[in-house]
Amino acid sequence: MGSNRPVIAGNGLAIFFTVVFVLPICGILAYVITSPLDGWMVQFGTWLHETNNWSFSTFDTQERFAKIGFAIRSIFIAVGISFLYFWLSNWLNQGLARVSSRGSAGREAYIIEALQPWIFVGPALVLLILFLFVPAFSTLSLSFQEADGARTVRNYAFLWDSSALGYVQFRYAMRNSLMWLVLVPTVCISLGLLIAVLADSVRWGIVAKTLIFVPMAISFVGAAVIWRNIFAGGGIQPQEAINGLTPSYQIGLLKALLGHTAAYNEPLYSLKFWGNFFLMWILVWVQTGFAMVIFSAALRGVPEDTIEAAKIDGANPFQMFFRVKLPQIYSTVVVVWTTLVILVLKMFDIPYALSANDDDKLLLATMMENARNNWSVGGDNVENLFAAIAVMLMLTVIPNMIFNARRIRREQRELEH
Amino acid sequence: MTRAFKHIVLALIVVIWVLPFVALVTTSLRSETASKTSGFWTAFTPTELGHRFGTHDRDQSEPFVTMSGNIFERLNGDRESFQVSGDVSSILFKGRIPDPDKPGKTKLIKQLIYAGEVMDVRGGEFVFQSSGDFTWTFPEATAPKPKNLDAFIKQNPVFGTDAYIEVLFENENVPNALISSFIVTIPATIIPITIAAFAAYAFAWMRFPGRDWLFVIVVSLMVVPTQLAFLPVLQGFSGIASWATALNAWMTDCEATNTCRVASKSFASLWVTHTAFGLPLAIYLLRNYIVGLPKELLESARIDGASHLKIFTRLIIPLSVPALASFSIFQFLWVWNDLIVALYIGSADSADLVFPIRLQKQLGTFKDQLHLLNASAVISIIVPVIVFLSMQRYFIRGLLAGSVKGG
Repeated sequence: MGSNRPVIAGNGLAIFFTVVFVLPICGILAYVITSPLDGWMVQFGTWLHETNNWSFSTFDTQERFAKIGFAIRSIFIAVGISFLYFWLSNWLNQGLARVSSRGSAGREAYIIEALQPWIFVGPALVLLILFLFVPAFSTLSLSFQEADGARTVRNYAFLWDSSALGYVQFRYAMRNSLMWLVLVPTVCISLGLLIAVLADSVRWGIVAKTLIFVPMAISFVGAAVIWRNIFAGGGIQPQEAINGLTPSYQIGLLKALLGHTAAYNEPLYSLKFWGNFFLMWILVWVQTGFAMVIFSAALRGVPEDTIEAAKIDGANPFQMFFRVKLPQIYSTVVVVWTTLVILVLKMFDIPYALSANDDDKLLLATMMENARNNWSVGGDNVENLFAAIAVMLMLTVIPNMIFNARRIRREQRELEH
Repeated sequence: MTRAFKHIVLALIVVIWVLPFVALVTTSLRSETASKTSGFWTAFTPTELGHRFGTHDRDQSEPFVTMSGNIFERLNGDRESFQVSGDVSSILFKGRIPDPDKPGKTKLIKQLIYAGEVMDVRGGEFVFQSSGDFTWTFPEATAPKPKNLDAFIKQNPVFGTDAYIEVLFENENVPNALISSFIVTIPATIIPITIAAFAAYAFAWMRFPGRDWLFVIVVSLMVVPTQLAFLPVLQGFSGIASWATALNAWMTDCEATNTCRVASKSFASLWVTHTAFGLPLAIYLLRNYIVGLPKELLESARIDGASHLKIFTRLIIPLSVPALASFSIFQFLWVWNDLIVALYIGSADSADLVFPIRLQKQLGTFKDQLHLLNASAVISIIVPVIVFLSMQRYFIRGLLAGSVKGG
């Protein structure tokens, strides 16, 4: 049915342009029509403010309620627009097919079927192309440009030129990334396996697992604040400050346990070189729960008969684990490992929150932020430099990405059979 | 490995995991003085802390020979919470005494004076007991100025919720961050689900050229560092913003009030960006779920003449609720906890900052007010932890679907 191609293309274009034209107008109209709602929210807020005698200024309350009103409108409009899109494009598809098929029912169904999938995946594809695919390539191209657009490799000079901006930082970032890359997944996986095995053999295991799992819900910055109480130095200097001299002045638990005196005030995560390990530990604390849950499920999936057979052969618990169970969940370990590696390579929040400007603690992601904020001395190509570091970050992720893509391809084949 | 050993090792790990939470909550419930001068572990037992008190009120100017009072009354006078109680162990005496080496001159000394010992304060004899009672005796009736003294008090444990009240009601930053985080998170969770569900259905049950390759590419985008996209996306948003500003100027009379400018970094830009960044995982999870639904269901519905849209809304959506739930938790937690996207794409206006950025700033501003920093962290953590614990089952199902076959 080759003759249907132009019709399908024509209908597709018609639907595309209608949607691109109609939806934004509907969106703008919806915003304009619903704008009185913000006013009502403000009135409601002012009323609440007056009846409850809130201590903020009235202006703050009004601003806040206007914001909430705007957000509620936006949720409904956004969801409404997405449904309008699917309804409108579907309706157009059927209508156009009926007209262009000139009465042939088979042809009508064929045209509808050909366009339908693209209507369904369309918004997702457009968003991914606009926000990930195209930007990735334009970042690549930005990284080879001067600020005025001329081609250059100057932005990558930190790779080979020891006088270039970022040379030292890049080496620190690579050294630290390598340490993070080796240590964090290894420790997470070992601890996760250990906890999974232990928790499955004691009665209160489910409680233990939940407690170890909870940090996964917490932001990295939150985790940083939490661990600050353990790793930080003294709260105030041991001087006659406002409250006089206080004997038990060390506020970090670990520092107190290590016997650090009041005079030694440096937080553990700021230590030269060794500070990195305390930052890593925070990530281990957050992510071990992930490894544990997955291993726990995988270990339960190990076939009973292999365990029975090993028992009959007289395997001790260690042999049972390392010779029988571990080899059978090997593929799961690899999956967890790749997930953690990607997470570590993109790590930003923890070092940013606790040691933002310290060269010694840089990772690639924090180095980018440093470049953007502090390196304006390098002339006006800061953004291009930023792009170059982003490309370096991408390069470290690519081996993993290929590995993952192959795994998913294989998995999809298995899912279909 | 003996059974007892297993219990001990696991208990030890659990303690290490839970201890930081104990530190967090304890610090947030302590007073400013206590939290910045002593570790959280000292909060549960009597601990020596420094307090400064004034001997009497400034307006009390009648001459006296002997004044008696109580240090705890002086300290607790006008405060409602964190009432100090316990034993006064010493007072740090700072003052001039006659210099034994140079007759006729004085020298400055600092010395700890213990309960019952006599101390020279403004020419009078100051004596205190560990119960806090003190007497101040002068040779003749005088009206001395009040003197501030630093007392070390072995203080009984005391907790209060003042830090929470302060950050929630007396400071605008935390309530604003809480509201902004909700405003960013809810649409950024709902919108990708809608879009991804349709796409996942198409990838699972519709035939179209290039479907499998497209799917692999979409899912591979899951690992692309978001940093790679920031600059071009920002440029795109500023382009749209200047266009919207022009449209605004043309359509409304904003020029009169000078309100035409549409910000390029806003809640809306965060919604769209989070939606795009969340789509690969959403499509992956939902497609794997939908592809596992019984095929006969779809075929019989097709034979009955139902359109794809109808099948999707009437059949697939109700059946996919578990998968939709597990993705929505992922996305909710991811957006709520996100720092980097909000930092680059979100509004930098102080009232619109989301919680992780606010918390990151507070690490600096509340450096010496740890009770406030910790209270603020507790508030930021409570929402995701509640969501997480109440929907843990779906979260684990999602995790497993991503990594263990048939999970």
